[in-house]
Amino acid sequence: MSDVKNLTKGFFKENPTFVQALGMCPTLATTTSAVNGLGMGLATLSVLTLSNIVVSLIRKVVPEKIRIPIYIVVIASFVTIVDLIMHAFTYQLWRTLGLFIPLIVVNCIILGRAEAFASKNGVLDSLFDGLGMGLGFTGALILLGSVRELLGSGTVFGVPIWGKAFNVFTMILPPGAYIALGMLAGLFTFIGIKRKERQKAKSNTEKVKA
Amino acid sequence: MREVLKTGLILFVFTLTAGLILGLVYSITSPYIGKAELNFKLTSIKDVMTDPVTGELLISPEDLPRSLEELEQKIYKSDDSGILYTSTKYGGRVHSPAYLFTSRDDKEIYVLEGSAIGYGGSVVCVAAFVKEPGGFRMNALRVISYSQETPGLGAKIGEEEVMRRFYPVPPEALEKGLRVNKDAGVVPTNDSERIKYLREHEGVIQTSDIMTGATLTPRAVVNTINTMYEFLRGEVDE
Amino acid sequence: MKLFFIFLSAVLVNNFVLARFLGICPFLGVSKRLSTATGMGMAVIFVMTMASVITWLLNQVLVAMGLEFLTTIVFILIIATLVQFVELFMKKNSPALYEALGIYLPLITTNCAILGLALLNVLYGYTLLETVVHSVAAGVGFTLALVIFAGIRERLELVDMPESFKGLPGALVTAGLLSLAFMGFQGMVKF
Repeated sequence: MSDVKNLTKGFFKENPTFVQALGMCPTLATTTSAVNGLGMGLATLSVLTLSNIVVSLIRKVVPEKIRIPIYIVVIASFVTIVDLIMHAFTYQLWRTLGLFIPLIVVNCIILGRAEAFASKNGVLDSLFDGLGMGLGFTGALILLGSVRELLGSGTVFGVPIWGKAFNVFTMILPPGAYIALGMLAGLFTFIGIKRKERQKAKSNTEKVKA
Repeated sequence: MREVLKTGLILFVFTLTAGLILGLVYSITSPYIGKAELNFKLTSIKDVMTDPVTGELLISPEDLPRSLEELEQKIYKSDDSGILYTSTKYGGRVHSPAYLFTSRDDKEIYVLEGSAIGYGGSVVCVAAFVKEPGGFRMNALRVISYSQETPGLGAKIGEEEVMRRFYPVPPEALEKGLRVNKDAGVVPTNDSERIKYLREHEGVIQTSDIMTGATLTPRAVVNTINTMYEFLRGEVDE
Repeated sequence: MKLFFIFLSAVLVNNFVLARFLGICPFLGVSKRLSTATGMGMAVIFVMTMASVITWLLNQVLVAMGLEFLTTIVFILIIATLVQFVELFMKKNSPALYEALGIYLPLITTNCAILGLALLNVLYGYTLLETVVHSVAAGVGFTLALVIFAGIRERLELVDMPESFKGLPGALVTAGLLSLAFMGFQGMVKF
């Protein structure tokens, strides 16, 4: 697969959140606002890309039987490093994300990509894969965060869009997260279905022409 | 048997390497982490000693601690257990250490950190109390930590707009004991003058309009303030 | 008394799945059949309790040695090992359940609920007994949410749903409504 394809497949076609349904826990928990979603997304993206690179580098030396524990060690190490760096240099964001930074370790996306891709592909490909999936994930988080923030607080990234009167406070709470994500996932699926229909129609007309 | 040993050894080597790398990163970031934590504390202390009306610092800028040593010089009282005082009436705690500063007009300012259980966990606040002839006046308050594992309702307590409802509080109101408007049975109003009156004369803090559906967290803040006041009354002779 | 409240809190008020957002992947993945849901729930309760006890003990050691930054990596390795053992045990003793759970059994390792629980026990500074109660309760709460959800989903399969919402989106919205229902428990226990 070309490098560009590796990068972009994570955005839409194989979007980790809306299509693969991976990494749900942090998605629902940290998207109370757009900026929190962004922070979490970037932290996850860093860990994902770095661990993909390392897993790809060591893929030939790791014995099959214990590959999962070793991947976990790699991922956990990067998570700890990112946690320490955030604690030192992005204190406010670190406080806000709290418990969910160490929980990046169990974000199924990272272990999933390590197992499904990085352990079977070269370093550069794995780098792009990690980057692409991470960006797709971050995009999903920002989208969900913006929706919840807009409906719940009337702001997006802190910029007031409409007044408090229209706020549905539940959006910031757990039920709102599930429902908003469900709605967005439904929308995503709908767009995907429409796309497939269009592609089918296009190839049908091409078949007729041929 | 050899297979098991070999795989065990490889796993061990990986884990050891990872552990060593982490130890290295930790030793590098450790001082920065300490600095970030200290900075946060110093900023909170500075914020609570800023007059909310005039925006001026209550103490002279040179007295503002800029390092751990300078901060430690201002310690008024400390306790190894980390807790200076627990209030059985309000369920709040005053943390160690407590700091004492002197304002520009030679008044004593006590800066306390305390907590109480809110929704889902402790709510930790830093507040500054100025000793005046009539009693103690709470100048300002900052909520520095609230339960963030379950994001939601409680998070609003960290917003500036919400925190402003809690201060300043004159001696009469502190003496009465603060309550949230829900507990005091006071109907919320839109009139900001009335909100101010309620706080300063009745000791009623209105939060139910800006923190809809959340009472436990503002109540925790109010309990913390009451606890701090109880502590000060017991500590400092009038 | 505190133990009772810890239990009640983790099961209903701060339900791990519906209020804390922990353990969602298996929640969405294994909740399609009631029988697998119950089996998964049992496995999770067991792993949660065992993992919490072991990690609690290890945490005491780490703190004493000033190595707290190794918490994440140590905890997750314990959990991974435990799950491996549970997997082997289940393969021998109840192969049917083992088959039914499939990929989701090793995925208990990445179940954020377990790591989250272990970290919360440390964060809240629980004693060993409180940790055990908290862990069992968390597992029970997880199983409760899982079983309720599976029951609903089994019914949903038979219902006429818009194409876009079949599967994940519909499940999420349903989970949201369930979460909304559980919100009724808020404030029952202060912590």
